[in-house]
Amino acid sequence: MRVRDLTISYGGEPVLEKVSLDVDEGRFVSLVGPSGSGKSSILRAVIGLQRPLSGMVEAAPARLHVGILFQDDALLPWKTARENVALGLTLNGMEARRAHAAADAWLERLHLKGLGDRFPRHLSGGQRKRVALAQVLAMKPRIVLMDEPFASLDAIVRARVVRDVVALVECERISVLLVTHDLEEAISLSDDVYLLSQGPRARITQHYPVPIPRPRDPVNTRTHPAFAPLYERQWADLSREVDNRAEAA
Amino acid sequence: MLLAPRYAWLRQLAAFAVVLAVWEAAGRAGGLNPMYAPNPSRVGAALVDLFADGRIWPHLQATFSAALGGLALGIAAGILLGVVAALVRFIAELLEPVMTLLNAIPRVILAPLFVIWLGIGVASKVALSFILVAVLIFFTVFTGIRQVDRRLVERIVTLGGGRWSLVRHVYLPSVATWVLGNLKIAVGFAFTGACVGEFVAATHGLGYLLSFAQSTYNAALMFALILLIMVVVLLIFAVAGRLERRLLRWN
Repeated sequence: MRVRDLTISYGGEPVLEKVSLDVDEGRFVSLVGPSGSGKSSILRAVIGLQRPLSGMVEAAPARLHVGILFQDDALLPWKTARENVALGLTLNGMEARRAHAAADAWLERLHLKGLGDRFPRHLSGGQRKRVALAQVLAMKPRIVLMDEPFASLDAIVRARVVRDVVALVECERISVLLVTHDLEEAISLSDDVYLLSQGPRARITQHYPVPIPRPRDPVNTRTHPAFAPLYERQWADLSREVDNRAEAA
Repeated sequence: MLLAPRYAWLRQLAAFAVVLAVWEAAGRAGGLNPMYAPNPSRVGAALVDLFADGRIWPHLQATFSAALGGLALGIAAGILLGVVAALVRFIAELLEPVMTLLNAIPRVILAPLFVIWLGIGVASKVALSFILVAVLIFFTVFTGIRQVDRRLVERIVTLGGGRWSLVRHVYLPSVATWVLGNLKIAVGFAFTGACVGEFVAATHGLGYLLSFAQSTYNAALMFALILLIMVVVLLIFAVAGRLERRLLRWN
């Protein structure tokens, strides 16, 4: 999938200007940048929830093969975990019984066996996140857009959910475009990291390939020799970007 | 041990019994005028009389018919109008000022008008219950749909759902949640409408009996009827509460 010269405005000055990035098949790509730089708007434009002022998304898979994981779980509170996971399948014509069987298989794969009858309110934050992930993966997406999906989880739960996500996308060869402001998370998960400047008129200012081999364990990745230099470089670039914008203001 | 929070109901019951005992004793000692405050034993006797000779049943039936009829019609019309107004701006422009006006006034003042239009039968009482409930449910649904969680709408859209899927999976469950959340208030409104309507002009109903008790200065009957209406409404509250807990078990 190629994003080309994407410019997004909410009426006044563009939030993002001429943003271009590539997400090749099976690659895990992260987009980092300061808060308010419009990172989420790129994902919303890719999936069709936001109409860009100009630019385009090329070679994107068909709409149904693009999944999105929001920062909050966005599960329907009146549906059980099983019904939530099966929702995308039934909306696209699958018979309910088959969809529920597929949902149960995904719940088991995401360590939620036996919790299919629970409503979201009766699940922990980590369990809800896994249900949301199962809902997206059940649709067999070729690319998953992730909008800071792990931000609300505590450290231990977050590490476990992230490990499972990495294992699943590596196994299924799913491409991922992750939006985050966490540099450590971006490096430990990604094959490519793009740096977005401070908005308004935010742009991609750097592209960092991550030379850490797969398969990866996101926790141990932080001890890889390539991690620290890359983190320091990204941190310096991001700090400079924020300082430049503050001076300009 | 009896001071534990879980025995609060026992303490409340005991306090109520003490109030009744003091009231009864004061009445028997001649400290209270029975014309204004009859002894609890006389109120109890009036209540037993109502049921013993069976004359209460047609009145209960009349009030229940009017209240439940107005409740059902009011909920149906409130949902329908609320949904249409939330989805069609033109309808909202027409309906919202009327509903706001109806909401601003004490709607029971319409009771005499309904008697002129619909007569002293059950129809005028149903109409008053209906207007009380319909306005409440209209605003519940109208504002609810406008404030529906956008994240849920976007979730359905990104999973490939269309307009009908949005209605079925997001809007209808949301509307059901808001309506059930206001069901107890609606029940109270429906009985208020029925009783006030009967109070204004009727030949049957608990409101009519209240009016009769007032005109004959029968305070014991009036207390008995107030007690009866309270018990009836509390029973319906209990049913509504069970329904709410069952249908909103996800909450």
